Amino acid sequence: MTIKVSIVEFISFFFFDCDQTEMVIKNNTDPSNIFFIIIFLNVFLDYICSNIKLIYIQSKLKIMKKIFYSLLVCLLVSCNGEKKSDEVNLYSQRHYSVDKLQYENFEKLTGIKVNVIKANADELIERLKNEGKNSPADLFVTVDAGKLYKAYDMGLLQKISSDVINSNVSEKLKDKNGFWIPITYRARILVYSNERVTKDELSTYEDLVDKKWKGRILVRSSSNAYNQALMSSIVANNGAEASIEWSKGMVNNFARDPKGSDRDQVKAIAAGQGDIAVVNSYYIGLLLSSKKQEELNAGKAVTVFFPNQGENQRGSHINISGIGLAKNSPNKQNAIKLMEYLTSETGQKTYVDNSYEYPANPAVNPSEIVKSWGEFKIDELDLNMLGEYRDQAIRIFDQTGWK
Amino acid sequence: MEIKGIFKLENKSWVLGSVIVAILVLLPILFLIRGLLKIEESDLVYLLNTILLEYTLNTFYLIFITSLFSLFFGILPAWYVSKYKFAGRSFFDLTLYLPLAIPSYIMAFTYSDILSFTGPIQSFLRTHFNSISNIFNKDYLQIEVLGVVLALALYPYIYSASRISFSLIGVNYVNLSKNLGLSKIKSFFKIFLPLSKPAILSGLFLVIMEVLNEYGAVKYFGVNTYTSGIFRAWFSMNNIGTAIQLSIILLIVVLSLFYLEKLINVKSKFSYSVNSKRQNLRNLKETKLFLVYIVCSIPVFFGFFIPLGFIINNVILTYFKIDFNQLFELVSNSIKVSTIASILIIIIALLFLFIEKITKNKINHIISQLISLGYALPGAVIGLSLILMATSFNDIFSSLSIMGSIYLLIYAYIIRFLAVGKSPIKSSLDKHPDSYTDTAKNLGLSPIMQLKEIYLPINKFALITAFIVTFIDLMKELPITLILRPFNFDTLGTQTYEYAIEEMIPLSSIYSLSIIIISTVMLLFLKNIINKQINVPRG
Repeated sequence: MTIKVSIVEFISFFFFDCDQTEMVIKNNTDPSNIFFIIIFLNVFLDYICSNIKLIYIQSKLKIMKKIFYSLLVCLLVSCNGEKKSDEVNLYSQRHYSVDKLQYENFEKLTGIKVNVIKANADELIERLKNEGKNSPADLFVTVDAGKLYKAYDMGLLQKISSDVINSNVSEKLKDKNGFWIPITYRARILVYSNERVTKDELSTYEDLVDKKWKGRILVRSSSNAYNQALMSSIVANNGAEASIEWSKGMVNNFARDPKGSDRDQVKAIAAGQGDIAVVNSYYIGLLLSSKKQEELNAGKAVTVFFPNQGENQRGSHINISGIGLAKNSPNKQNAIKLMEYLTSETGQKTYVDNSYEYPANPAVNPSEIVKSWGEFKIDELDLNMLGEYRDQAIRIFDQTGWK
Repeated sequence: MEIKGIFKLENKSWVLGSVIVAILVLLPILFLIRGLLKIEESDLVYLLNTILLEYTLNTFYLIFITSLFSLFFGILPAWYVSKYKFAGRSFFDLTLYLPLAIPSYIMAFTYSDILSFTGPIQSFLRTHFNSISNIFNKDYLQIEVLGVVLALALYPYIYSASRISFSLIGVNYVNLSKNLGLSKIKSFFKIFLPLSKPAILSGLFLVIMEVLNEYGAVKYFGVNTYTSGIFRAWFSMNNIGTAIQLSIILLIVVLSLFYLEKLINVKSKFSYSVNSKRQNLRNLKETKLFLVYIVCSIPVFFGFFIPLGFIINNVILTYFKIDFNQLFELVSNSIKVSTIASILIIIIALLFLFIEKITKNKINHIISQLISLGYALPGAVIGLSLILMATSFNDIFSSLSIMGSIYLLIYAYIIRFLAVGKSPIKSSLDKHPDSYTDTAKNLGLSPIMQLKEIYLPINKFALITAFIVTFIDLMKELPITLILRPFNFDTLGTQTYEYAIEEMIPLSSIYSLSIIIISTVMLLFLKNIINKQINVPRG
């Protein structure tokens, strides 16, 4: 029995390098630690009991054991896991290498350790919701304003009040309610084949349903959040009925069933399977900086086009990568510090240097490749609408057969 | 009378123990069912009217293609390797298992990259044979292609089951077929195939389960299956109740499949051990040799060497970007969680099966069937059920932070993969006659002594096999790890996936290569064990 317990101890303390155990060792308040102490002491006392033959001592020891138990149970119940240390916990949908770099830089600068759990946004929301007031999460990081709205709508976020962040980020990208902040943004744009399409043939998202594009449009599946956001923006701008018609028209003009990633759509243009693709801007940057000659060629076979730029038109659809402050954030001060850092010029510069997204801080310029596409007018729709109309957008996809 | 019968049990404490462990294993599923009762509004009707039918049909079609090709890739090579002597036989014998080392989503990502317009095949054709390159310029992200790719990743389940079965069928049957005057082809179809049906069916069952739970590969190919429907309800439509309803329906379908498989297997149950001498390997005619090489090479090369070569090439391309410290940490994380979870799974599986064996009562029989339920649910749904469970407990013991701990992750692994660890142990236990238990009882051995002195030694190989099989499955596991892991905890699988979905396949390669190397080493061990089993001298 003794051996078995020490195995458990061994596993929990030395086997996993994950931070849960580090926390345990650092400030002995983690309840799971106490759980092991109970087992260990129990076995230890049992061992003494069985080895000491004197009945008197045995009975004394038994009483001691009882006292130990009750003490430990009290400890266990009273301990609410109040950990006060220099850390901030992130639930993040972003998992680019630039994020890791950011967190390392932040830790070097402030000494605050950034802990991250990366998963799908909806799964993280589910986890956040169920954990309720016991949630260790401070910040919720996503690549879609719709998910931030969803978290806000479910009451999982709290208001962020920081003048620093307020002055850092662009007015157009802000949440009107103040529950989340943007860190970068990207446009969902069109790319067209240099060989088969000329620039003046293109104009707006709405124009894509025109008969001339029959069998020429490439786009990924409707289960993708970026497409759902695009459809939500169209519902918000044009209304449900027009959106249904638009979706039907798009489906009619598809070159093939929606599938693959954004980059695959560009490759499909290069392969001649279609002529126009709806993709996120930074994927073109990734293709153009690819080490593989063939991918580079695919990137060069197309040109970027920002739709809806004309006068009286609303601008190209954008979406943000953003952060919400969890309602029950245990390390709120640190969390705000991290957000301030990420939106600061240093933080924003790191994003721009390592990815092809647009910075949320207007004082910082995007990377060279991104700059070469030129400036564009963004759709100034309240980004919360991307979440508000999400459900409707999905139903439209389903009704109109956009797979 | 009957009630009284239930309470009059032998080995009461063992039965009680198994019931408690079973409740622990089934608890999250109970929470899922409890969630079903709390549903306020359901979109099930809406889904039925719009997409569910198409998704279901897609699923059946995909299962059909994958099963067909897995059977083709699995049975014929197993037959030739088991029965014939030819140069390179031992090479094929060794390598035909190996595609199991490659996670199906990596297989899918790899093949879509190889076949794509910018991939090596089409680029090569464009530069060298420009005139015919257009013929190959097609959209390869099709359900049929996906079916074949999945078959390449999954056929080893069928191969290994039929390989063992073919080898164990003794010389008596061969003589019988000769006496009946059957041709070789006829005797294969009339005698060996029917005799191996239970083994092949259990392999096929695993293949079907894997296809049902497949998520990453399916999503990438744009094929919507039933599981995609569950996620659509849960994530896109934000209706967790509908997702639970769909999962429960899936659970019921799988249960009936499971039952069907058992029904067929019971009918054709027979014991290998009464069979006589082992049959010697036969020589092959020269004319047939070519065919054999083709049949054996296709699965090995397309299922293992081509993806491996592609991944190694990517690793070389991105060599300068590899963070070896991180790699080392991920390797150790993956190995640790997989090892601990597999050991626990085997202990629990053995416990249930052993108790079922010694008590022979209905309760334990039902329990040992029920604990396999977790395998029928998609990983993310198990994750969900554990979140539901852990948070209900959190309300009661607010200080116990079970959520987001490594223990919860391992708990989830156990629920999901118990069936995987159980099946090799079960098939080994089933081969031993009940008289072992009776004799042991007559000798006055206590249950614990029986376990120690009889069941552990005679099932040693099965236990090791079970360990390796679960270990490899856990190495490849993705959805549960993603949803339940603690802070800053990555495994090789999650890291591969993160790069892959961001379309940075080359960067993900070093991690997938590590999974493949570790799994391959384990598979080679396994191969060694299986050989020992097959070559055991029999009277």
